[in-house]
Amino acid sequence: MDAFGPVAIFLFTLFLLLGSGVWVGLALLGVAFVGMELFTSRPAGDAMITTIWAASSSWTLTALPLFIWMGEILYRTRLSEDMFRGLSPWMARLPGGLLHTNIVGCTVFAAVSGSSAATLSTVGRMSIPELRRRNYPERMVIGTLAGAATLGLMIPPSLTLIVYGVTINESITKLFMAGVVPGLVLASLFMGYVALYSKLSKAYRPDPEPAMSLAERLRNSRFLLPVIALIVVVIGSMYLGWATATEAAAIGVIGALILAAAQGSLTLKTFGESLMGATRTSAMIALILAGAAFLSLSMGFTGLPRALATWIGSLNLTAFELLMALLVFYIIIGCFLDGISSVVLTMAVVEPMIRQAGIDVIWFGIFIVVVVEMAQITPPIGFNLFVLQGMTRHEMNYIARAALPMFAIMVVMVFVLILWPELATWLPETMSRRGAG
Amino acid sequence: MKTLGRGLRRLLDGLYFAGGLIAAVCLVAILAIIVAQMVTRWTGLTFPGATSYAGYAMAAASFFAFAHALNRGAHIRVSVLLTALGPKRRWLELWCFAIGAALSWFFARYAIKAVYWSWKLKDVSQGQDATPLWIPQLAMAAGTVLLAIAMTDHLVRIVFLGEHGIKADTVDQSQGK
Amino acid sequence: AEKWDMPMAYPATNFHSENAATFAACVTAGTGGEIEIVTHPGGSLFGGADIKRAVQTGQVPIGERLLSAHANENPLFGIDSIPFLATSFDDAVKLWTAAEPAIAEALDEQNLVLLYTVPWPPQGFYFNMEVNSVAAMKGVKFRAYNAATAKLAELTGMLPVQIEAAEISQAFATGVAQAMISSGATGYDSKLWENVSHFYEVDAWLPRNAVFVNKDTWAGLSDAAKTTLTDCAATAASDGLQKAKDYTQFTLDGLKSNGMQVLKPSEQLKSDLKAIGETMTSEWLASAGDKGKAIVDAYKSM
Ligand code: NA
Ligand code: NA
Repeated sequence: MDAFGPVAIFLFTLFLLLGSGVWVGLALLGVAFVGMELFTSRPAGDAMITTIWAASSSWTLTALPLFIWMGEILYRTRLSEDMFRGLSPWMARLPGGLLHTNIVGCTVFAAVSGSSAATLSTVGRMSIPELRRRNYPERMVIGTLAGAATLGLMIPPSLTLIVYGVTINESITKLFMAGVVPGLVLASLFMGYVALYSKLSKAYRPDPEPAMSLAERLRNSRFLLPVIALIVVVIGSMYLGWATATEAAAIGVIGALILAAAQGSLTLKTFGESLMGATRTSAMIALILAGAAFLSLSMGFTGLPRALATWIGSLNLTAFELLMALLVFYIIIGCFLDGISSVVLTMAVVEPMIRQAGIDVIWFGIFIVVVVEMAQITPPIGFNLFVLQGMTRHEMNYIARAALPMFAIMVVMVFVLILWPELATWLPETMSRRGAG
Repeated sequence: MKTLGRGLRRLLDGLYFAGGLIAAVCLVAILAIIVAQMVTRWTGLTFPGATSYAGYAMAAASFFAFAHALNRGAHIRVSVLLTALGPKRRWLELWCFAIGAALSWFFARYAIKAVYWSWKLKDVSQGQDATPLWIPQLAMAAGTVLLAIAMTDHLVRIVFLGEHGIKADTVDQSQGK
Repeated sequence: AEKWDMPMAYPATNFHSENAATFAACVTAGTGGEIEIVTHPGGSLFGGADIKRAVQTGQVPIGERLLSAHANENPLFGIDSIPFLATSFDDAVKLWTAAEPAIAEALDEQNLVLLYTVPWPPQGFYFNMEVNSVAAMKGVKFRAYNAATAKLAELTGMLPVQIEAAEISQAFATGVAQAMISSGATGYDSKLWENVSHFYEVDAWLPRNAVFVNKDTWAGLSDAAKTTLTDCAATAASDGLQKAKDYTQFTLDGLKSNGMQVLKPSEQLKSDLKAIGETMTSEWLASAGDKGKAIVDAYKSM
């Protein structure tokens, strides 16, 4: 393998630029530029703009700023406060307490949005202030959010699964079905971890919630109605055919505006603040996406990811060994590429390997999603880390360390999938049998 | 001289903020376009090219806000080393803004070139809108030039005044403790 | 040896991509490694919409693209997509024979050298119900993805809805769309039988993928290399045509065996559509001018 030189140069430039404090999006741009100049004879600047324009003017991307805006609006309403008031009497006695709202919130919102950045921005905007106020350990608040938000990719709708399905000609409906159960299992693993941690750690001492009678609890549950209504409307709009998955984000914004108006928290000032806040956050993510798109193009020109995948293919591994090799492979390239790029850049080589090894491609789609989810929280290039840094101003290394246990849980999830493949395959197979019969 | 400097300062800050406002308007435009697309579909009317227009608004909402986001500290960076350096961080900031300015000008140069070529090649959108592509791409050129000016602005301030002009929103959700 | 990166929009296992991979190997071997073509299928380098521009401006030396997607630039590029003008493989070959010189010239003006084209299987209607006449289509939500398909919707009384390719199966599953026009291959590849019940073999048109080279790159080649490229291109064109024919039957059988109704159109539907085809042809002629008229006349006299 003569890939060592290019890999070393990519790594060196990346760590130099990112480490010295160059803005993430521009650092990626710089790394991609160096790669293009050194390893191809192609005009770097022109190719960069072609791919950046395509990436930033895309229709499917429009859902992201809208969901971010929705989060900003809700953050300025009493909605999150109310939601916690309604939930706390029920969840306070669970081991781990209200921290579970992070995970449950992300799981529910994952059914609304197809991306993990949107899930993270919306849920995090609401839950972080409330959990902080109740003195939950900051590291757990950040870590569980980073991890659970990746469920946006696994629970349908999912951009990653759409791209995977289109790339390998598999049914997107089936892939979506396949993601449901593993998504819920992964969410329960996260919750199990929170429960365990809360029992074992001495530092886990959130403020106690006031004790309430059952009647009081039920009465308090009325505070949950607005948020439930909003979620039902957005999800319902998709399944009733009123809106496509992309358009659902617009329904979310309108719904949030109506809720804010109904609560009397919609003033010209809060409207302007939410809009400007969303504009800045989306611009931040857009600059990183632009850099990532160019880096992905640069990697495509060098042929590096493909060469590595081909090398794995040449090792003649058994199905299990192949999966292990691919796990390590995707974790490594996931450190440097966003998930969708790593799928697109390698699938032409990986797909035949998978089919030849007799691995079910629908199942493999879920395997890929778990691995891509890991990539969202591994430094130096992990989108959830970026979004969380933008939201909390914590250092990237702090957020990455907070998310590390979630990474480990996802590795466990891979083995759970290997041991019980039915988790992914049962639902789509049941659905298609009913369809044919 | 001093009035000239103050005038320039006000002009530049005004430009960055105007970029942010335009971007915000484009974000509202995305919402409006998507809602219009849904409503026309429900009522049996059509809105040809809606998805393309939403895409252009998406690009404009991103590019126009780059400079404004920079000034408000929204663009994220790894600041471990910068924090560790403490009062001596000026030299590292100098390096960051120099690299940042160089990359932004590179970005802007090719964004302008892309607009020129789209115009010269008469490149049009492949969707139902058939928009000449140089028009929406102007937003990319303008936004990246604005970012490059802002980067240079901060770089100059570090060289001559010793500090950049980025003011992060500390009122937001920063650092619980 | 020079490395040529070749972006392509469709998945590696698509017959166009496989055909192009064979073409790439042919060139690499034929030039003795002087030119090594590396294919990048599935939009992994540039997405479909950007490939032509990338080749035009020299960002990559060679690429493959669905030609009719660029009909907004020049109506001639859309000649293969006029509904019900050429409705069989034989007619499509005739139409292409008549059109190729003018299209190669139009591409040449855009700094591109046309190497070869390969048709897609014929386009048919997907419906979620039985349809035996154009009157029965009234009010049905029809996926339109360009001006021509939007016009087709208008003429048939259907409601055009814009759905991006990635969202097709969801759109059908939730009823956002109820009909579309595409080849049997598209439906087979994306397993549309899960959400759609009927496919009508109306053979509306046979769009083409074109492979082209940047003109400046071409000018810098040795004569021997040019000959190799042209020879390999000729082989790829005829192999590709055969593959398209084989794949058509294969995918229609596939749709059937997965429970979809694959039907020939009724006489009523056929004649309704023919009338619409004539309207659309005359509209196309109005936009394409003398060059367009010359091509259609030449085709009709074949
Ligand atoms: Na999702
Ligand atoms: Na990562």
